[in-house]
Amino acid sequence: MAFLQPWVLLGLPLAGLPLLLHLIQRREPPTLEFPAVRYLVQVTQEHQRRLRLRHLLLLLVRTVLVLALVLAAAGPSAALREAASHAPSALAVLLDNSPSSGVIVDGTSRLDELRLAARRILARSTPADALWLVGSDGLARRGSASELGRAVDSLEVAPRRLDLGQAVQLAADVVATDHRPGAIVLLSDLQATALSPAAVHTPLLVARPASTAPRNLGVGQVRPSAAPWTPSGGQVIVAVEGDSGPPAPVTVTLADRPGRQALIPAGGATSFTLDGTAPGWWTVRATKAPDELRMDDERVSLVRVAPVARVQWNAQDRYLDAALGVLEADGRLRRGSDLTVGTLGSGSSVVLPPADPAQLGALNRALERRDIGWRYGALMATPTMTDSGPLVGREPVARRYLLEPRRASATTGILATVGQQPWLVRSGDVVLLGSRLEPEWTGFPLQAGFLPFMDAVVNRLARGELALQNAAPGDPVLVPDLVTAVAQADRRWTVEGGAAFRAPSPGVYFLLAGRDTVGGISVNVDPRESHLSPATDAQVTNLWPGSRVVNLEDAAAAAFAGAGRASLQAPLLWLALVLGLVELLLASGLRQGP
Amino acid sequence: MPPATRTPPRIDLLDPREAAGLGGIELLTEGVVEGFLAGLHRSPRRGFSVEFAEHRSYQPGDELRYVDWKLLGRKDRLYVKQYEEETNLRAMLVLDASRSMAWTGDPTRTLPKLAYAQRLAAAIGLILLRQRDATGLIAFDDAVRSVLPARARSAQWHQLLAHLVGVVPGHGTAAEPALRRVIDLLRRRGLVIFISDLLLERDLALRALKFLQHRGHQVIVLHVMDPAELDLGGPAEARFEDPETGASVTLRPKDWAGAYRETVAGVVSAWRRSCRGSGMQYHQLTTDTPFGLALRRVLARPSGLA
Repeated sequence: MAFLQPWVLLGLPLAGLPLLLHLIQRREPPTLEFPAVRYLVQVTQEHQRRLRLRHLLLLLVRTVLVLALVLAAAGPSAALREAASHAPSALAVLLDNSPSSGVIVDGTSRLDELRLAARRILARSTPADALWLVGSDGLARRGSASELGRAVDSLEVAPRRLDLGQAVQLAADVVATDHRPGAIVLLSDLQATALSPAAVHTPLLVARPASTAPRNLGVGQVRPSAAPWTPSGGQVIVAVEGDSGPPAPVTVTLADRPGRQALIPAGGATSFTLDGTAPGWWTVRATKAPDELRMDDERVSLVRVAPVARVQWNAQDRYLDAALGVLEADGRLRRGSDLTVGTLGSGSSVVLPPADPAQLGALNRALERRDIGWRYGALMATPTMTDSGPLVGREPVARRYLLEPRRASATTGILATVGQQPWLVRSGDVVLLGSRLEPEWTGFPLQAGFLPFMDAVVNRLARGELALQNAAPGDPVLVPDLVTAVAQADRRWTVEGGAAFRAPSPGVYFLLAGRDTVGGISVNVDPRESHLSPATDAQVTNLWPGSRVVNLEDAAAAAFAGAGRASLQAPLLWLALVLGLVELLLASGLRQGP
Repeated sequence: MPPATRTPPRIDLLDPREAAGLGGIELLTEGVVEGFLAGLHRSPRRGFSVEFAEHRSYQPGDELRYVDWKLLGRKDRLYVKQYEEETNLRAMLVLDASRSMAWTGDPTRTLPKLAYAQRLAAAIGLILLRQRDATGLIAFDDAVRSVLPARARSAQWHQLLAHLVGVVPGHGTAAEPALRRVIDLLRRRGLVIFISDLLLERDLALRALKFLQHRGHQVIVLHVMDPAELDLGGPAEARFEDPETGASVTLRPKDWAGAYRETVAGVVSAWRRSCRGSGMQYHQLTTDTPFGLALRRVLARPSGLA
């Protein structure tokens, strides 16, 4: 017998409550003088045995009633007798073909073991069953056993991580749509890092390989220093994830330059200094020696190499001058006339609103003459915060000018917002900011993130470069407004700015605005896939109460046992109802006397 | 319109507990008897035979056919004629004074059975004595405690009262010695009024009563019960103890109330059946029955107190 809520069984001692009450009520009663005791003796002699029997029966009924209620609340089920066939059922087979399923154990990939178990399960199904197959792509495929068998054969190791809790929940939702008794079979290597809680009331069978997983290390992170790199080079931090073991040799290369090597232990990270190369977009590649799991042996990232910006600014702007001075001292910019920061210059400019409102009209007219798509509008003096984004986090804003599109339809180029209203926009080679960079307008200049922000503004945004993002395969990535296409090698996807793009496989993807490359996405396998240590059975049953854990070899035999298991909840509730009625009759009979 | 006159309450119809609070047993008894006789509208006295014995003063309730009209013409006063047979009636009140008779289920609402029986016996005795019937008293518990031989003298009423007041609750109950004593005291055929809660050995008592009946005595059994003895009540669970024997039973009254009621009804029915089967009168009275109603039930029988 199994229980969905075994902790409810802690209430079983409540069954002793009727007996306890009975004993408490048997305390010494008061003595009353009563001359007609002889009549009482006569009565009790006639009825005592029957009444005592009725009391005992009532005690028994109440005890069994409490037991039945507690057991029913625990959700018991019992296996029916083994039979060649089973009752029609709705079965969802969850096949975990996440990257970790590509590990080779004893010459066979985990995925092949999982496939074989899935095929055996499907072979035991009958046409009366409703079947679904769910892979790490999250799609629930419905079909006959043969159709799903072909789908199983076509499944490959997917680069996308599978959150087992979410997958189980999805499978439960799917089988709940069918009127037949539902069951879920999860076929997985059961990585501990893939487990998450799920509130599942459908019988869940978890089948995992009997053989132990090999120790594995993978490249978990490749993080270049702030872009753009100068032609003199930059730094890359590489981290190694995975189970414990000897340090892994990792090679880091930039473009086709000779690589740098280092030994990195599991959980450790090393910084590599790479020589510069010609301006352009380059791939940084970190590779470790091959092991049983190949998909996490290499990780890529994208680097933009360009000369630092040549900037001019007004030294009277105190906070701006201080920040740009630091960047100049750090070699992240040079003095020059390529970019004007603070006012609208003749070329590329980062424009702040004037301190004197009287000059705002002249500024707007100058922007219009430059055919800039945005203009300054009304002054807003309500303290608020910026909306968190990749460029600016949550920063206080006390005063700001509304940034209004010159044409109602021209609303692209929004880089940061305040209350969903534009605060930092780009149009052509001009970047407009809604607030002056002074504490009276915004507290941002006093924050630690101000210097990286200014670095990004002068070196990337002013040049038209928008974003360098990291993602895992299949994860949605919001592409900036100006982006019109995403490209990888010879593949190209047309996208709409502001929409989500899902990279299908690991690699680098370029964000294109027309013919210009304005950013990139580095797509790599989720580093948690490198941890192959499986969860224990106790962890599984704790996270998913009521689930059963079996070996893959036993999955087929146990798969439809759920359909061969009968819930005892309804019979127990009926028993409790009948016992309640019997108790009512006995108790009312006692009240009426023997 | 004449002013409304207020009729004084009839003591015989008052609640016994309330009536007992109005005065001593003598006053109460006389009030009860006066009220009872006034309400009866005819004298309960019976047995006027053809053999004249003496005259006595007319009393309200006497039948007019016994008025001596000649004597009225001579003396201008009303006299009724009494006959030999009536004056020869000898009655004996046999009163149970055992400890169980001292019990009441609710002292605030009902008299103890013994107090009720004392007053009822006094009322019956007064009626008998007014009829010039020789009346005596035997009080008993597990033995005969008090004996007043039957007399018809005018002082007998006060003797009877003194004996009744002197009766105190005793111990157990054994009716046979008292009934045997009745045989010694009533050598001629007479009337035996047995007043008891009948919590005694039924077979022995019945045998003695039947023997009296066999000897030619008329026997009236007055079964006095407290209302709380008819319906079992009390706390959720209690130990009920017999004050006479010390026997006890522990039970939950609400579980047994129905069966107890049936058993008591069966006991009463058995007494009634046995008594009537032997030619005896049987009356079951509860201590909340007004004395007038109790007297009416006893005296309304065809054989009454004759």
